[in-house]
This record gives sequence, structure tokens and C-alpha cells, in this order.
Amino acid sequence: MQTLVNKGRGKTLKKALSYIGRYKLFLPISSFLALASVGLTLYVPMLMGDAIDLIIDKGLVDLPGIGRLLVLSLILILINALIQWIMGMVNNNVAQKICRDIRNEAFGKLERLPLSYIDRTPHGDIVNRVINDTDRFCEGLFLGFTQVFTGILTIVGTLVFMLYINWKIALVVVLLTPISILIARFIGGRTFSMFKERSECEAEQAAHIDEMIGNSRLVRAFGREKEALSVFDEISARLEKSSLKAIFFSSLVNPTTRFINSIVYAAVALVGALAVIETKAVPIDMAFLTVGEFTVLLSYTNQYTKPFNEISGIIAEFQNALASAARVFALIEENAETPDAPDASVIENASGRVDLEKVEFSYEKQKPLIRDLSLNVEPGQRIAIVGPTGCGKTTVINLLMRFYDVDSGKITVEGEDIRNITRKSLRASYGMVLQDTWIMSGSVRDNIAFGKPEATDEEIKAAAKAAHAHGFIKRLKNGYDTIIGEGGEELSGGQKQLICIARVMLSLPPMLILDEATSSIDTRTEMKIQQAFNTMMEGRTSFIVAHRLSTVREADVILVMKDGRILETGKHEELLQKEGFYSELYNSQFAH
Amino acid sequence: MKKLLKYLRGYVKETILGPLFKLFEATLELIVPLVIASIIDVGISIGDGTYVLKMCGVLVLLGLIGLGFSLTAQYFAAKASVGFVTQVKRGLYQHLQSLSYADMDRLGTSTMITRMTADSSKLQTGLNLTLRLLLRSPFVVFGAMIMAFSIDRDSGLNFAVVILGLSVIVFGIMLITMPMYKKVQSGVDGILNRTRENLAGVRVIRAFGMEDNEVKDFRHENNILTLGQRRAGNVSALMNPLTYVIINIGVILLIRIGALKVDSGSLTQGEVIALYNYMAQILVELIKMANLIVSISKALASASRISSVFDITPSQTYGIVTEGKADDIHVELNRVWAGYNDTSESALEDVTFFARRGETIGIIGGTGSGKTTLINLITRFYDTTRGEVKIDGVNVRDYTREALIKKIGIVPQRAVLFSGSIRDNMKWRKKDASDEEINRALDVAQASDFVSEKGGLSAEVSAGGKNFSGGQRQRLTIARALVGDPDILILDDSASALDYATDAALRLAIRGLSKDKTVFIVSQRAASVMHADKIIVLDDGRAVGIGDHDSLLKNCSVYREIYDSQFKKEAS
Repeated sequence: MQTLVNKGRGKTLKKALSYIGRYKLFLPISSFLALASVGLTLYVPMLMGDAIDLIIDKGLVDLPGIGRLLVLSLILILINALIQWIMGMVNNNVAQKICRDIRNEAFGKLERLPLSYIDRTPHGDIVNRVINDTDRFCEGLFLGFTQVFTGILTIVGTLVFMLYINWKIALVVVLLTPISILIARFIGGRTFSMFKERSECEAEQAAHIDEMIGNSRLVRAFGREKEALSVFDEISARLEKSSLKAIFFSSLVNPTTRFINSIVYAAVALVGALAVIETKAVPIDMAFLTVGEFTVLLSYTNQYTKPFNEISGIIAEFQNALASAARVFALIEENAETPDAPDASVIENASGRVDLEKVEFSYEKQKPLIRDLSLNVEPGQRIAIVGPTGCGKTTVINLLMRFYDVDSGKITVEGEDIRNITRKSLRASYGMVLQDTWIMSGSVRDNIAFGKPEATDEEIKAAAKAAHAHGFIKRLKNGYDTIIGEGGEELSGGQKQLICIARVMLSLPPMLILDEATSSIDTRTEMKIQQAFNTMMEGRTSFIVAHRLSTVREADVILVMKDGRILETGKHEELLQKEGFYSELYNSQFAH
Repeated sequence: MKKLLKYLRGYVKETILGPLFKLFEATLELIVPLVIASIIDVGISIGDGTYVLKMCGVLVLLGLIGLGFSLTAQYFAAKASVGFVTQVKRGLYQHLQSLSYADMDRLGTSTMITRMTADSSKLQTGLNLTLRLLLRSPFVVFGAMIMAFSIDRDSGLNFAVVILGLSVIVFGIMLITMPMYKKVQSGVDGILNRTRENLAGVRVIRAFGMEDNEVKDFRHENNILTLGQRRAGNVSALMNPLTYVIINIGVILLIRIGALKVDSGSLTQGEVIALYNYMAQILVELIKMANLIVSISKALASASRISSVFDITPSQTYGIVTEGKADDIHVELNRVWAGYNDTSESALEDVTFFARRGETIGIIGGTGSGKTTLINLITRFYDTTRGEVKIDGVNVRDYTREALIKKIGIVPQRAVLFSGSIRDNMKWRKKDASDEEINRALDVAQASDFVSEKGGLSAEVSAGGKNFSGGQRQRLTIARALVGDPDILILDDSASALDYATDAALRLAIRGLSKDKTVFIVSQRAASVMHADKIIVLDDGRAVGIGDHDSLLKNCSVYREIYDSQFKKEAS
């Protein structure tokens, strides 16, 4: 189990490193600066030690010598500070850029994920990965750059300097300090799984918050605050427990290593002091340890063990960051939609011939939905799809637009299997208005021009007029510049729908899909829109899903669906005469 | 910020003990340089090896006791910070739930969610670090200064100047970066919102083939955010080098002063070394404090954002009435005006009508004519700007909230279900509803068939009810409103995704319910409202016709127009 966790972590680390690799100059520059800074940081105390050796006792102080050493120290200190500053900036900038890259990639992935993934995964969870996990990883990465790397250099550098002063004492330090590494590793291994558990609880809570706060109006309307709170409390309690565990155990690293260090410090003091005492007994040129050197060694010991402390402290932070990184990478590596075939054709100005051949489809394998669906649509035909709710009408649209791929059979446009057509050109051939309106935060203008950002104001206005949206838009506070969507002006369901229609009116593709498009618009307005639709549908193949049968009477073909199958097809009058399922549906709207 | 502090109340013990144990540990650390000084001045100068050994034993002992103190402190700090943030989140969750619709409109959903998640998490990290280090570091710093004063007055002054210089830098940088990090956070909110939007609108985006464009826009926003982060980071990067310079100048002065004093015989070599060690301790602790302050400034920024949410006082207060009069008049609107915010024009103007107990009231009108607004006033989701709404003869503002919720069952336009089982969803109005009651409601809502197909009341509902079709969701939300038998039932355009057959069956079933139940049906279909006892025709916020179907056909041109648009063709 432990090795499995370690393996997963190793993989995550490798991926994280590959992001750093993109900034080729970064590692050499950062390493060079770190090297220079560590070298100077270690060299300056040597000068100070020399100065202390010149302070012996009353009347035995070499003031000019001390002065020279101190001036040299000052110069080196200033240079070192400059190097540190530059290094800090370089590290910060690269860490932020890497974070930006990851966010970009994660978001880019969202645009290529199959619809089935997005429909299935709670959106709060995905958002959490793209934003919060990336953020956390970024913080861990920055710490890693600034402290782990210089830390390791400091350890090596200090060792070299210590060996130079006194090898015996250096040996004591080298033998004792690894204990703290072992402890840090031990604790680090334990906490990784704890942080992972915490991450999972956090994700669960985020999904709950997304659902309940996202729909807080409904929660309030039903007075469900207490019940929602009790679910929240239950998740919270688990999160609290796992957080406390993870945080406490990871915080053990610091004090424990600090204790090991104080043992090392005591050992150096012991061996060093005894060495100085011995030295006093021999002639001055035989001396192997002076008081000044002893002081420097003590301060080196601190300097040597400090990075051990920090590194182990950061390891905890890093565990945390890696757990987050693993979640972001999992999203980035999620299977994208199967890419368009390299030889996929681009369709332009499709005439509107669409054929479905023995199409079968289901969202879940065990629950078949669309079965043996065949249909030939001539260019310019109006196809109305009617039937009781849940009969698969919306699914047909998912398939036409290739939001989902058929399980068997095929759909062709202009005789070409749509799996051999680029998704972009296939989808661009359809204008789609859905029942669920979608408004993005931005101005009314941005929303209408969504599919055609280069549209002129005149075109936008014309589209809005054609959709009968111009009137209410004009009356908004800032007209076409009014900000709508999150945090902006609240629009009614119908107004949102009108804007969505204007959006399609603007680009007018050769084929149309209207999925209950006018369900939240009143019939007076709808009548006007219907006229606009009629002009729009002129010569265009159109698929209309509607419940209001008055809107489908003029269709060339009406498909009556039930339970994923086509029950009847024909024109309105023919179907009425048949006195089948359609006429039953149709007459029921007059039943009282 | 005060509003947040009260959540620490349950953790007073931990909040005090955590830093206190850290102080004990720090005190021990301050003793170490004195031990070293005595090793040099006593042990080395008289060449006493046993004395050195004894002193080194003291060093180990100090370390061991320090470990004990420190572990205790870490535990208390973790407990207090985790517990505190759990309580803050709980309070925030409750507070958000207490906000009125108008408050929520102003705040925005993604802000609410970020405060609950990212900000709370930063707050937790910040508090944990604060409890562990914030007291410890200054204590070591000032402790070292006091020790220095006790050894030598001039050196003590040197320490004081160094500490002053360090404080100026540390706090100066903090003051500069605070607003920068605040800006960064609002950038994070921005891309968070964009991500959410993209998920919600994935079909539209792909239908228009605008994926690349969205990526481009995201990158643009992301770049701006990153730029802000880099700038803030670059200022913070000054912290370490500047403090390093000051400390080391302090060391240089210390050696210089020490050299003179030893030369004149007022200090010993060991004492100079002790001073040198204290200076080194200051550096270590100040670097810790500097890093800490960066995290704290982020945490404080998060705290002030969270606290500004707490500052929003719910804009609605409730009365104390739990039951009104059993009058014949059930619901009454008297010269009611309404608007969503102060600047925009009124959504409803001077609407007056009443509904008798047991009547079915149809509300019909065009998009944006004020239908939903009218409903929102009866349920008191929003308040009137003028005029009054009465239920059972009592102004809705005088009822307790529970009483209003109990009286009214509402089916909102957007059919949203919650993750859990169908049974869980059906118990929203009445916690202890029996399966029998629920099944009755499902029958009325024409939902029994597909519910049993899905596997009965225990069938799983995914978040938002995405595993049900639009029409199924609508029927489930209707059933949800019926459980618990409310006096008033409001259907806000809730049958739009239903076919006519189901819609008709639904209306028939609702009419068959208790004859004291007053039903409001908001619709754009004349067929849905034409059999109502009273129909209110809204046009641009005004009630242009009130009456039954026949009289409206005669007298109300707007109604006639709507009716004709839906029925004429079929009738001809």
C-alpha cells in the first residue's frame, strides 16, 4: 500500500517537473544564483569568525585587522542581498507562470472533454480542481524552488566548509543529521494518505456547497436550511477530523527534527569545546581549533540543520501540494473526445441532407434508449419530433450534434458519416436553441455576438430585432451594454431565451435545431418569433422538438416518438387521420 | 473581523495554550547562547572537560523539554485552527441561507462559493501558522534583545535599532502587498466564475464551435491574474534580502563594539560570542516571521472578505404571527408595486386582486410582464415597494417564516432536484412525510409511472436532478410542493416541458385535491389557465384584465390575443 502511494506520488512529481522543464533557462539561472547566494551566505560567517579570533582579551585586540575583515563582509553581504532578491523574483515569476500554464491546460481540457464526462461529474468538483487545487500546487511549488533547492545547496556547502575547518566535528554532524531525514520521510509517507483523505472530504464538501449554495433560493423557499445544514455538518465533521489528523501529524516533523538538531548542536559543542581545550595545550602553529572557529562551527551547525528543518517542514506542505497536483493532472489527463480523424472532411454550406441509419444509443449500457432509429431528411425539410417526456427527443439532438456518439448504426450529413466530419464544421452547420438557456456574464452585446465575435453593431441589432429582443433590450438600464449573467441584471426566463435566439439569428447556419426553444416564451411573443423562425427555416433543414403541437403543424415530417422508437411518421393531417398515438396526444390538449 | 472572532469562542483554551507552550519552548532556546558563553568563558578558559560535558548535557535536556512543549503547542494550534474554520464555515453557511433573494442577487453565487471554500482554507492555514509562530517569533526577537541589554547596554541598543529597522521593512512590505493580494483574489474569483459558466454552457459553446475562443478569453484573464501574482510576489521577494542586510550590519556593529569593549576589558570573548549567537537567532526568527506574515496577509485578506459577507444583514425581517384568520378571502394584494432594485423601473405597478379560499387563479401574460414577480411577492421572496400582500387577512410581513413556508407550496420555473433519493427530495416540505403521502403527491403530479420505472422512491437522484428529463424533473418538483398538503399551491410555469396530455391530467388531479386549497397557475398557455375561477392578465407590469375566461374574452384584448394565437388555428 505504502509503495503504491509512493509510486503515485513519484508519477505526480515527474509530471510536475515536466512543467518546470518548459522554462529552459530557469533551472540554470536559478541554480547559479542559489549557488552564489549559498556560497556567500556561508563565507561571511568565516570572516566574522576570523574577526572574533582577533578579539582575545583585554588589550589583546587587533582593531585594524578586525576593521578590514568587517568592511569585506559588508561588501559581500550587499552583493549577496542583491543575488537573493533577483533569485526570489525569478523563482516567483516562474512558479506563477507554471501555475498559469497548468490552469490554461486544465481549462483547455474542459473544452475538449466528452459531454458524458461533464454531464456526469459534479461541476463544483471540476471547478475545484481547475482553480483551488492548482493554486495550492502553485504555492507548494514556489516553496520547493525557494527553499528545497537552496536548502540542499546549503547542506552541501556547509559540509564542505566544516570539513575545511575540522573534519572530526564535520563527521559528528554528518553521522547524526540523517536521523532527522529519516524521521521526516517517515512522517511524510504517513501524511500523504492523510492529506489525500482530507482532499476527498474537501471535494465532497465543495460539491455539497455548490449544490446547496448554488440553489440557495430553493433551499430558502422550502425552509430546508436546517436539513441542509445537518448534511453539511456531517461532511464537516469528517473533514474536521481528517484535517486535524493531517495537519497535526504533518506538524510533528518540525519539532522532532528540531530536537535532533539540538542533540547535534550539543554534540558539536562538546567535541568542539574539548578540541579547543586540547589546542590550548599545544604551540599555536599546531592549533587545530580556535575559539573563533568553534563559534563559526556552531553557527554552521545551525545553518546546516536549518535546511533540514525547513525541508522537512516543506515536505509536509509539498505532500499537500502533490495531492492537489494529482487531482489537477487527473483532470488534464482525462480522455478527451476522440479527436477528429486526420482525413475528416470539412462541410460548408451543407444543403441539409441528413440520414439516420439504424441508430442505437443509450447513456447507460443496461438501459437501452434509442433503438433502431432510421430517418431520411431531404434538404430544406422541417422535421418535428414530438412525444411524451423521456421518449428520447433530446437524445436525438445530442446525437445529431455529436455531443454523444451513436453506439451502432450511423448518422450521415450530405452522405458523409458525421464521425468523418470535423466536429467544428458539423456543429457550425447547425443553429441550436436549447430549452436550458445559457447566458454568460458579460454585456447583452457580447452574449448575442457569442458565436460571431466580429459582428458589427448593426448586425447584432438586426438579429435582436429578428428575435423580438430589441424592444426589451432597449429598455434595460444600459441597453446593449447592460451586464447580464452572474452579478449582473437579472433577466426573466423568456428574456434569456430571446437572447439565445438572437444569438442563432446572428449566424444563421444551414440547419437548425430548436429544442423546445420557445417553451418559456409567451405565445404572443412566440407568434412573432415563429414568423422569424419561418423566414429563418426557409430552405433550411430544421429539427424542431416541441410540446406545443401548434408549433409543429407546418412540419414536413412529424416524428412521433415513444420509448426511444419512432411510432408514427407523417404530416399533421395524415397523422390525425390515422387516429393513432399522435391524434391522442393532439386531442388531449383540448381535454379539460 | 469581530464577527469572525466569536467563532474562536469554543477554542479559547487551545488558542491560549498553543502560543503559551510555544513561548515556553522559545524561552528554552534563549538560554542556549548563555550555556555556550559559559562553556567558553568557564569550561575552555580553565580547561575543565567535565564542566563542558555537564553543560552539553544541559543543552540536550533543554532540547528534550522543548520537544514536549512544542508537540503540545502544535496539537492545540491544529485543533484550534481546524475547529475555528469549521465553525466559521458553518456560520457562513447558515448566514448565506438566511439572506433574502435580493441579498443573494447582489452577492452572486460564485462569490458565495469561493468564500465557503478557497477563502476558508486560506484562513485555516493562516490561523494555524499564527498560533504556532506569531507569538513565538517576536518573543525570541525581544527576548534576545533583553538578553543583550543584560549583557551590555550599548549592544542592547544596537539590537533595538536592528529590530526597529527589521520591523519597518517587514510591516512596510506587508502593507504594500495586502491590496495586491486582494486584487489577485478577485482575479481568482473571475476565472472561477468563467470555469463554472463554461461547464454550464458547454453545449452552447460547442454548438457554436467557440471552444478556442473561450480558451483564448480564459488565457487572457489568466494572464492578467498571473501578472498580478507576479507583481505581488516580486515585492514580497524584497523581504529576505533586506532583512538579511540589516541583520548582518547589526552583526558587524556588534563585533566592532565588542572588539572595543573587550580591548578595554568591560566584556569577555564568550559574551561577544553569546551576543553573536543571539543576533543569529533574531535572523532565523525574523525570516520565519517574514514568511509567516505573507501567509497571514493572505489569510487576513480572506478573513476580511469572509467577514464582509457576514456584514450583510439579511434585508428581510419576519413577524411573529403563526396563523391568520380563516376568512373567505385567502390571498389579497392591495395596490402593490414592486421593483428588483432601486434604479430599474417597477416590475409591477399598482396591482390589486384577491383570491377566495379554494379558488384556482390563473396568471397569464407575456415574457417580462411580471408574472413571476407577482408570485415572489405572495411567497415573500421579495418585498413590495408599495402596497401590501395579505394571506388569511394578515400582512405577509407579519408572519413568521416557518408559517409562510408551511402555508405555501411552490413549484419554481427552474426544475432543480438535489442529490439523494427521490424520497429525500420529496421530504423537502415535510420532513416526516410517509411513503404513502409521497406516493399520493407523485400520483397527482403524474410522476408515479416513471418513478416506479426508475426503481421507486429509493431511486438515486444526481446533483441538479440531471439523471431525469426536463419533464420528469418538473413533475417531481410539483410532487415535492404537494407533499405536506399546503393551503396555497403555486405553479410558476411549471408544466412548460410537459406534453398537453400530461398537463391536462395534472390539472385535473390538482383540481381534485382539497376544495380549500387555493391554487395559482402561472402560464403562457391559455389552455392551462382558461378553466381557472379567476384569471389575472398581466402586461408590462400592470394587471390589464381580471376575471373569468368568458368575461376576459369579451373585455380584455390582450387575453383575446393570447387565446387566439393558441386556439384559432386549431379551431378553424
